[in-house]
Amino acid sequence: MKIRLRRLNQIVIISLAILGIRLFSLQIIRGERYARLSDRNRIRKIILTAPRGRIFDRNGIPLADTRPSWTIAVIPTETNDSALSFLSAILKIPMPELRRRLEPIAAFPSPVNICRDVSFKIVAQIEENNFRLPGVMTRVDPVRNYPYGPIYAHCIGYIGEITDAELARDTSYHRLDYIGKTGIEARYEKRLRGADGTQFVEVDVRGREIGPLPEKRVQSPISGNDIYLTINHRLQQLAYELSKPYERSAVVGIAIRTGEILCLISNPAFDPNLFLSHLNSARWDSLVSNPAKPFFNRVISAAYPPGSTFKPLIALLALEKQLITPQTNFIPCNGGFRYGNRTFRCWSAHGHLNLIEAIEQSCNSYFYQIGLRLNVDTLSKFCRRLKLDQPSYIDIPGEKIGNVPSREFLNRRYGKGKWTQGVMLNLAIGQGELTLTPLQLALLYACIANDGTYFQPYLVDRIESAGTVIYTANPKQVKVELNSSQLKIIKTALTRVVEYGTARGAQLPEISIAGKTGTAQNPPKPDHAWFVGYAPAEDPEVVFAVILENAGQGGAAAAPIVSALVRSYFLSKNSYAQD
Amino acid sequence: MRKIDLTLILIVTFLIIIGLIAIYSAAGTRYLFRQLLFLPFGLVGLLVAFFTPRRIILGTAEILYILTLIMLITVLIWGTGPGAKRWFAIGAFNIQPSEVAKFTTTVVLAKYLSYRRNLKLDFPNIAGPAFLTITPVLLILAEPDLSTAISILPAFAAMLYWQGLRPLHILLLFIPPFSFVAGFSIYFWIPFFILLAIIVFLRMKFLPAITTLIISSAFGLLSPIVISLLKDYQRARIKNFFAPWLDPHGIGWNAIQSQIAIGSGRVLGKGYLKGTQKRLGFLPNRHTDFIFSSIAEEFGLLGSIVLLLLFFLFIHRILLTAYKTRDQNGALLCIGFAAIITYQIFVNIGMLLGVLPITGITLPFISYGGSSLLVTMTMLGLLLNVGTKPE
Repeated sequence: MKIRLRRLNQIVIISLAILGIRLFSLQIIRGERYARLSDRNRIRKIILTAPRGRIFDRNGIPLADTRPSWTIAVIPTETNDSALSFLSAILKIPMPELRRRLEPIAAFPSPVNICRDVSFKIVAQIEENNFRLPGVMTRVDPVRNYPYGPIYAHCIGYIGEITDAELARDTSYHRLDYIGKTGIEARYEKRLRGADGTQFVEVDVRGREIGPLPEKRVQSPISGNDIYLTINHRLQQLAYELSKPYERSAVVGIAIRTGEILCLISNPAFDPNLFLSHLNSARWDSLVSNPAKPFFNRVISAAYPPGSTFKPLIALLALEKQLITPQTNFIPCNGGFRYGNRTFRCWSAHGHLNLIEAIEQSCNSYFYQIGLRLNVDTLSKFCRRLKLDQPSYIDIPGEKIGNVPSREFLNRRYGKGKWTQGVMLNLAIGQGELTLTPLQLALLYACIANDGTYFQPYLVDRIESAGTVIYTANPKQVKVELNSSQLKIIKTALTRVVEYGTARGAQLPEISIAGKTGTAQNPPKPDHAWFVGYAPAEDPEVVFAVILENAGQGGAAAAPIVSALVRSYFLSKNSYAQD
Repeated sequence: MRKIDLTLILIVTFLIIIGLIAIYSAAGTRYLFRQLLFLPFGLVGLLVAFFTPRRIILGTAEILYILTLIMLITVLIWGTGPGAKRWFAIGAFNIQPSEVAKFTTTVVLAKYLSYRRNLKLDFPNIAGPAFLTITPVLLILAEPDLSTAISILPAFAAMLYWQGLRPLHILLLFIPPFSFVAGFSIYFWIPFFILLAIIVFLRMKFLPAITTLIISSAFGLLSPIVISLLKDYQRARIKNFFAPWLDPHGIGWNAIQSQIAIGSGRVLGKGYLKGTQKRLGFLPNRHTDFIFSSIAEEFGLLGSIVLLLLFFLFIHRILLTAYKTRDQNGALLCIGFAAIITYQIFVNIGMLLGVLPITGITLPFISYGGSSLLVTMTMLGLLLNVGTKPE
């Protein structure tokens, strides 16, 4: 009996010892790991989206702010295939794409954003089918709002879902985060972004949030900085309305004494609000395949031949090089100028003209004859002095510069010795190989208006963080060596262009405008119409450049837009001064 | 009449108090009060078993046994339970006949085996007790409730051993059912067969050894044949029967959550009422089958070991009673009950620790539940009866 008792006792001891050893292994050897797993079970990390910084015009009108929106998020560890395929049907996102978005798995089961800024209809559908969608949640996030839609498409730009490439570059982003793609949104991404907060909440087995985790403090989101632009919203709106009828066009206005961009419009535009929600591909395709290129910022990226708007500069160069005097009379214009066996055409028969009259009437024949005396190296050197071969360093991305022709360039283009002075004749009237962006042209005129100094253009006036100014723009002067008495002649001529010449349509009773029309040849399509002008002519404050693609002769279409803008500029200036 | 075993009463008191503390933590006052309500019933069971002369108990053993079988049959017809027919719902209470069967089967086996000392493995010796055991086991299997059905077998084996049957012979006795069950999966059957072959060739002569293996193989082959005769839904049921731990959260979710709860308790635990796994509902049935996980989470290794030691002292005390008593029948009752309780402790805690698959089995004295408490308390009463009043 005794032996049996002992045996049975041993069996009991062995059984309990197995349990004891296993307990030791779980609680001591692997205890830390299980403690972590237990936390993972109950703790959910929630990202509190930081509201993006707002963007205002110079007078504090909000141009980009935030509004509440619905976000659909999924907790990868708590969902299942049937829920995902159901969700895929509701959101119209294909399954593989849905899975791709769920990929990153965090240390704590946290909701991963699947789709942002969804409609309330979809939210209602998801809430109704709650029981079929484990691990799927809806929540409210602040999202960008552009109250003026396309008006600021090329100035503020837009934000959109981060791409894989962008994600790879900066690991502080999460998939489906928004990131600035163009314009101010892209250039000032770091300032506008803010810092997302985190909150740890305790959840029960059904994934219901019980409350904040007492051990961990909530890290509140820090909203992005607010940006005040130099843009004048009234002017911008007006510029948009006036230029919109021209499918492809650009308008830029600059404050001459600071370099502040007052308005910047490129047509066609797009509604930047479109890229916040999951964009349907048909809409995207129609934007991308639009031959007018709505994403193309014509103000800073499109280079056109300046046409006659370049004549004042050719005149300046000719005066400087003493090729002509203001009184020089060339062979009278009879509607063209014969060079070699070819006739270079003028748009009218102007007869005898001096320099000022030639600018005023925009006579090609006169400038062909300057061209005859011009050397390509001289021109190219002059252009470089005018900094036409350099970007303006405006504070939005995508700036391009036009082309400054040089001897090498012409040799490359036509073959060495295969081009004649005829090329120079064309260049002298602003056609041919010389191209400028509207921004460059506006700056060129700012430089003329301001006696050889202009300011680097900029859009951001100041940045505020929670009401404290943390950055203020500091205008940067750029000096160009120009003879002021010669400049005076040119300026007189530009005033006369509006008073008596080709841009009489731009006249205003109360303010004198100086400027120049231009026609950029665009064979075989209709010409582009230019007008660039500054005001007041006697003490210039503001310069505007307008290009209307395929709108024909410059004076007719483009000049009135500038005069309307000038009037609005001075009206609003006076009304603000009275406030 | 000898002195009543106060140590045993003290240990059980401790265990019940631990149980009440744990039930409160796991499920709140509602379940605590209900368990407190069950206690008097348990005490009544204990007192009745203690004061009733064993003569009478043994005299009515067969009647009790037959009544139990009737209950087991009727529960198959009118019973309820989650996915099975396990209990009668009477008002707010559930009566679980399989719990009663553990008790009555042990009593009836104790009565029959007490007539035979130095048991041999032959038909007249074994057939009767084996039949008495198998009948309720099969009825409980039919509910289906595998773990409770099996819980009667250790009692049977332990009592056979106590009455002198050689361990090898006990093993041989259990070969056919084991082989049949293992035969459902080739991955179970092959290791089982190899292990058996080793034991058999070491301990037996060649011919009987071969015979044993052939019998084993025959039963092993039987189960694939049986399976092939079944319909698809029946096969699915069998799969579910052997793997009840397949739950809606996916394979092993409950087991994993239980291990996370236990492991995260570490040395001293998270503190009373502070178990997050328990509180936030990651532990299923946290006041019944999974109560040990909750205790281990809140009281850590220290608390768990204290509980295991109390269980050991309790079983050790019963075995000592069996040894001290000169009465065959009383000793067998002790051995049978000790085996059942050891089995329950081992299987319950073992499944929570991930040593065994998850099945529905309660932890004696600790888990919430009236039937379980009533039956264990009655067993205790009978044990005290044996310890104090030798016949």
